[in-house]
Amino acid sequence: MSREVLDVDVLIVGGGPSGLSAALRLTQLQKQKGGEPLSIAVVEKAREAGAHSLSGALLDPSTLRDLIPDFQAKGAPLAAEVHEDNIYFLTPTHKFRFPITPPPFKNHGNYIIALNQFTKWLAAQVEAEGIDLFMGFAAQHVLYEGTRVIGVRLGDRGLGKDGKPKAAFEPGADIHAKVTIFADGVRGHLTKQLIGALHLDARSQPGQFAIGIKELWEIPKGRLKPGTVIHTLGYPLKEEEFGGTWLYAMPDDRISIGLVAGLDYKDPLFDPHAAFQHFKLHPFIKGILEGGHLMRYGAKALPEGGWNTQPQLFFDGGLIVGDAANFVNSMRLKGIHLAMRSGMLAGETAFDAVRAGDTSSAFLARYKMQVDESAIRTELYPVRNVHQAFGAGLIAGTAFAGLTMATGGRLMEDLPGHAGHTRMRTLAHYYGLEKRDILTGSNAAPFDRKITFDKVTGAHYSGTHHEEDQPVHLLVQTDVCHSVCGDEFGYPCVRFCPANVYEMVDNGAGGKRLQINASNCVHCKTCDIMDPYGVITWVPPEGGEGPQYDGM
Amino acid sequence: MILVIAEQKDGKLNRASWEALAAAQQLAGAGTPIKVAVAGHGLSNVAAELAAAAVSEVIAIDDAKLEIYTPDGFVQALQQVIASVSPAYVMFAHTYQTRDFSATLAARLDRALVTDVTAIRNVNGVVAFARPMFQGKLVADVAPQGPAPHLVTVQIGAFRADAVTKGPAAAPISTAAITIDSASIRQKPEAPFQEAKQAVDLSQAERIVSVGRGIKSQENIAVAEQLAKAFGAELAASRPICDNGWLPMERQIGSSGQTVAPKLYRSEGISGAIQHLVGMKGSRTIVAINKDAEAPIFEVADYGIQGDLFELAAALIAELQKS
Amino acid sequence: MKIAVCIKQVPTREWQPRLNDDKTWVREQDVSYEMNEPDAYALEESLRLREKHGGEVVVCSAGPARVQQVIREALARGADRALHVEDDMLGPADAHTAASALAPAMAEQKFDLILTGLQSDDQGHAQFGPVLAEKLGIPHSTIIMEVVVSGSELRVKRELEGGWFQHVTMRLPALLTIQSGINTLRYATLKGIMAAKKKEIVKVAAPAGLVARHQIVALYAPQKSKQTVMITGSPAEAAKELVRRLREEARVL
Repeated sequence: MSREVLDVDVLIVGGGPSGLSAALRLTQLQKQKGGEPLSIAVVEKAREAGAHSLSGALLDPSTLRDLIPDFQAKGAPLAAEVHEDNIYFLTPTHKFRFPITPPPFKNHGNYIIALNQFTKWLAAQVEAEGIDLFMGFAAQHVLYEGTRVIGVRLGDRGLGKDGKPKAAFEPGADIHAKVTIFADGVRGHLTKQLIGALHLDARSQPGQFAIGIKELWEIPKGRLKPGTVIHTLGYPLKEEEFGGTWLYAMPDDRISIGLVAGLDYKDPLFDPHAAFQHFKLHPFIKGILEGGHLMRYGAKALPEGGWNTQPQLFFDGGLIVGDAANFVNSMRLKGIHLAMRSGMLAGETAFDAVRAGDTSSAFLARYKMQVDESAIRTELYPVRNVHQAFGAGLIAGTAFAGLTMATGGRLMEDLPGHAGHTRMRTLAHYYGLEKRDILTGSNAAPFDRKITFDKVTGAHYSGTHHEEDQPVHLLVQTDVCHSVCGDEFGYPCVRFCPANVYEMVDNGAGGKRLQINASNCVHCKTCDIMDPYGVITWVPPEGGEGPQYDGM
Repeated sequence: MILVIAEQKDGKLNRASWEALAAAQQLAGAGTPIKVAVAGHGLSNVAAELAAAAVSEVIAIDDAKLEIYTPDGFVQALQQVIASVSPAYVMFAHTYQTRDFSATLAARLDRALVTDVTAIRNVNGVVAFARPMFQGKLVADVAPQGPAPHLVTVQIGAFRADAVTKGPAAAPISTAAITIDSASIRQKPEAPFQEAKQAVDLSQAERIVSVGRGIKSQENIAVAEQLAKAFGAELAASRPICDNGWLPMERQIGSSGQTVAPKLYRSEGISGAIQHLVGMKGSRTIVAINKDAEAPIFEVADYGIQGDLFELAAALIAELQKS
Repeated sequence: MKIAVCIKQVPTREWQPRLNDDKTWVREQDVSYEMNEPDAYALEESLRLREKHGGEVVVCSAGPARVQQVIREALARGADRALHVEDDMLGPADAHTAASALAPAMAEQKFDLILTGLQSDDQGHAQFGPVLAEKLGIPHSTIIMEVVVSGSELRVKRELEGGWFQHVTMRLPALLTIQSGINTLRYATLKGIMAAKKKEIVKVAAPAGLVARHQIVALYAPQKSKQTVMITGSPAEAAKELVRRLREEARVL
């Protein structure tokens, strides 16, 4: 069977907010400037737009206004306008309200949205312009001619667990493009390949990430007014652990609730999912959830490193946008508007490049210049050290954040950043001589099946599904799992994966072996990021699979 | 009056016919007469069997052209019988055969048909029929609309065959006066046949014994097999057992395996993760054995035993073999 | 051969239902949809028959505007054109109503063969196919595992209870309801998706005078009406008690 080949002018890999904004901007420029229409294609691994989109989320509508001025008339699904901001510091049993809301946490004028619905809507706008949205196609490899990016190769479909073709086998198509815009999201697997192959991180700090674990709940009628925003710091995270929680009230008695934990924690026995369960059991939160029921669960990593972790954004034949470029404001906890802005700018440069017949790195560098002159830099540069400062703990970080706010980030040297997984301490280092049962997390939580649920139940509520008979898409490159990891770190993959993909089971000979439950995967990328040996590589499974984040 | 349509094959009554009768008796309450009809050829034995029930009449729809089932033949015949007895309801069991012709009959009569009913309800004075929706995630109480008769098929096993009340004496048996126009029978069926059992089809099993992590090791699968044999059941498993390769994937029950609804589901050492529950919670009777009293499986079980599954397995095999 | 495939759009398997305020239907907001699985197998079967015998495959669907999603998917997999009877009330409609909505438009087309799934994954009435056949005045057979066409004759293999099967012969035109899993579904290719955009989708309004056959008076989550009976005692005692109950109470032995 021969491989399909498609030739386009601009290929956008990833159908999230940044990719779709790029696509939409291209059609706008087309209309504006006329001329030979550009052929544009978007490929997205999810079965439909928004299925893999998960975020709190609070949307800063500035970019939306620029991209689609008549967004209200077009029915943009902005669930609720924020009417009340609350920040609390939690202890195990109490809460302390911050008397004033620090400016970055002021959400007046912002909207609570379900990113899943927002992305779906954005995709509908793109489709209405006649652009081909290829849903359910996972891009597996970047295609090069020397060091020039010429497109991507999509994943094969219909391979068995043994790697052999099954009855309906289709080899992955090759899509060749003059410009490829990589919008493959947080820890994008293609962006990861590009950074390695083209040394795009030569002048940037290594990316830093956090995991966000989220649930959508239906709670008793009228308990919280839509538009209520709650953020907390403190319990259940330790002083040394970066992160916090959110709880947003949406219309129709739904709430979005979640916990963000920095993927640079020291305690090898820490379990982010358990921390989230503890959060839900806090009297304040439990009082909100009681009597309600869980509708959906999910998790996704988010880039936290900020401005200095952005890779080189341009190269022969390609550009990087959105979360893949690490454009998230970790102080304001917002990135969607930045992702969209970067998509728009990349779309503009791509358009000009194709029209000029020059898609070289030199020409495409204009995108970076535009980013530097845009609201992206204005917003991210001043807070470029915030996450790095939290490396010294919550108090230091908060103080530093305050200083950043006061000075607008001026007069500050760039703090060094380190890849988060290198900060995980070994058991010996963290626990010393204390004997630990490594199969129990240090912050293990009870599962009452009313407020708290185990990871397996979570995986069910994420709606994730994968064909069982296909190659495993979590590539574990070595055998450290069976040799040294147990003693050194106590199998942290079992704890940091929010979906029970990794399990150490009895190997029938008195020891343990790693079992990978690949079909539970929710595509969050945490394992790719946090494994202390750096030996796990996430690649996309067959297109059209993964979570179904309705309403998330 | 309620008309029940019984099903027979080669002179043998389908057990599900009694279930439809039980449903009819429940719907009728006191005072509403029930008639039961059966179609085919050479029906005297079957009719006599049906006459034992507390019905006012058994109608034998006997015709050589109905000896082999065809939807066209049956719809023609039943349409005539319904016209002659004018029932308020026509009830069937939701068998493969019923699924083949009941909707055609309803369309020909231009009457409402509610299928796969699990319970009969009275919602504010309105008779409604409960049926599963969205793959069992929800139940709908459906009130059929439009003029009588309303046709209803009942889910296999939802009503108890042994709940049928018998009549004080054998009911009168009559032969329906019908004519079948063979030219209008458009299907030409051949004799049914069985295929060699290639794959395990758990969805057809009446009893299932299922094992989970509590079985501890591959060697112990033999205990489960013995237990299954003692119960006359098929062997199945939750996901971890199949992942380990201790039983083939086709025996897996759950969201990534098969969904089953047997009469009896016994789970041995299965905790009851939600992915497994969605595959079996429709079972009629669920028995769970687990060491952990808090295991989620007990939330869906009819009978539970907290204990050591090996000790209990041995005791159960002994107990079953006594009889 | 002019083949029709009737396809329904249903909520995805992973969907968690939420009831509307009067608890007679579900809330459609945030719902994700997909092609009804048995209909996908019917589509695949129709594409194979076209490959073997030539002709065209026409997707027929009744429902609100959103069912365009599954129509496009079917066109992307290789169907030639589509017929969409569009009306919002057809979303929650019962099978009889849906079949009545499609029948007039489909009658005009004079299809040789109509395939559809044996039932839908949402309401699961298993009525649509036979009702449509009756309205079109053509013969039908249900739960079909194999389809063989020779000229104007059709020989199919029907699934019966308990591992039994039966062959049935009919003349075309006819309607079949297809069992899931009888073939391997093909993937839509990029070219297929692009070509789908240019394929004809004829939209017609629902015929007047459609009457609902079902009224849902209550919709609810299944309640566990049973209390779990925990059986205690020594293994021998518990075993004895359990077997007794299974025999006498539950009557499953």
